[in-house]
Amino acid sequence: MIELKKDQLVFQFPDVHADAELRIDFQRTLRIPDDGREYPLPPGLGSFPLRHVDDFAESIPSSWISHGGVMLPMYQSEALWVNFSGRYPFAVKVATGKINAVTGEAWKEALNRDPQDYMSTSEQPWLDGYCVEKGVIRQFVAMPLGSGYSAEEQITGEAEYGGLQIVVYPLKGKVYERTRRWVTRSTLGSPLFSKCMRSAAPDMGLAPGGRMRQEIYDDSFDLDDWDLRHSGRCFVHIANSMVWRDITGEKPPTVPPTARSYSKAGLPWFDFYSDNGSAVDGSDILSKLKSVVGMGAEKGEIPLPENESVKTNNVVMLRKGLRKGQVREGRF
Amino acid sequence: MPATQFGCYIRERREKLKEKDNSFSVRQVAGRIDVEPSFLSKVERGEVAPPSEAKIVLLAKELGEDPDLLLALAGKVSSDLQAVIRKRPELFGRLLREMREMPDHAILRLVREVRDGLW
Repeated sequence: MIELKKDQLVFQFPDVHADAELRIDFQRTLRIPDDGREYPLPPGLGSFPLRHVDDFAESIPSSWISHGGVMLPMYQSEALWVNFSGRYPFAVKVATGKINAVTGEAWKEALNRDPQDYMSTSEQPWLDGYCVEKGVIRQFVAMPLGSGYSAEEQITGEAEYGGLQIVVYPLKGKVYERTRRWVTRSTLGSPLFSKCMRSAAPDMGLAPGGRMRQEIYDDSFDLDDWDLRHSGRCFVHIANSMVWRDITGEKPPTVPPTARSYSKAGLPWFDFYSDNGSAVDGSDILSKLKSVVGMGAEKGEIPLPENESVKTNNVVMLRKGLRKGQVREGRF
Repeated sequence: MPATQFGCYIRERREKLKEKDNSFSVRQVAGRIDVEPSFLSKVERGEVAPPSEAKIVLLAKELGEDPDLLLALAGKVSSDLQAVIRKRPELFGRLLREMREMPDHAILRLVREVRDGLW
């Protein structure tokens, strides 16, 4: 069953194991420059608010009610990352506009290994974007559905679904025998920034933004270790923040800082290492997608304001399994 | 009788705290919730009706107690819960009566799930 608790999706499978719980939240973050360079991981600036779509049936598109699930607000050209937490291993499949974010293939619910189309939360603490190369993702960036930028529209030619789709499968109870350590990416308060935004259409999709160093790890379990008889799935709709107040009566979060102002303030970026994890190859389909800036150039538009390159001097290394007080290896 | 039950409970809790910390005297607790010490003393003895919702909430905070518990002992329902019930009185009336005999673990199962639809 899936509950919504404090802006987190909480997946629980008590029939599989008492510990079988996974929490997923969607972190606000700054948008890395879409300039062809590779950037480290940006911080989390707090969770996006999540609301049941059923609570706002009169003010949202009817397709959202049909899909069910939850919704969150994003400004045009704002970025997010998906945060997984819980010590029980889960296989998680993430799609945007029903396009798999790891393989670029159309949405399929079962787990597949060739190529691996899901992530194991025992290896993967978060996902920031589309797996375009081995060890490189393109950041999830919100763009209005129908504007042609989203991965869904670039691949299918249709602007039908938008949002995010998630399905999770727990590890079989009998296979669950060890707990693993989780690293926490720093989350910061949300400084007040204001910026004029443009479009106010309600339905947003996710598009590929700047390049970021992030590996999608090979699953270290056997495919048969996952309990495919138990699953939970959720459709996460993305509403333009400009209409969030009209829909919910609530003020949306403020616009995040730019990468430039963040870096200039000396605030940290992050790199994550897993000593024993190998990464999946990038997706051929996703590698062919045009980034938001690339697509904008074709259209004669400037879709991303404040896209200047930045220097990321303050990079904090996070290593899976690093204990408090343990000496961290740096770069030699 | 709510006045006596409420009074006994808070007196017992306050005196337990006072064993370790003298700032939990009637006088000092009354001062912190902005009532007269004689009034708090009478409340504890059940000689007067329990104070207002706002004072009970302050007292709960002071004594480290659950406000809903103290309100219930005082025969009151918090105004936010009243608003919830007033919004759908028949539904909540029926629900609460049906839940009267349910064990705690069954009540805790009554959580709202995220609804899945057709994708």
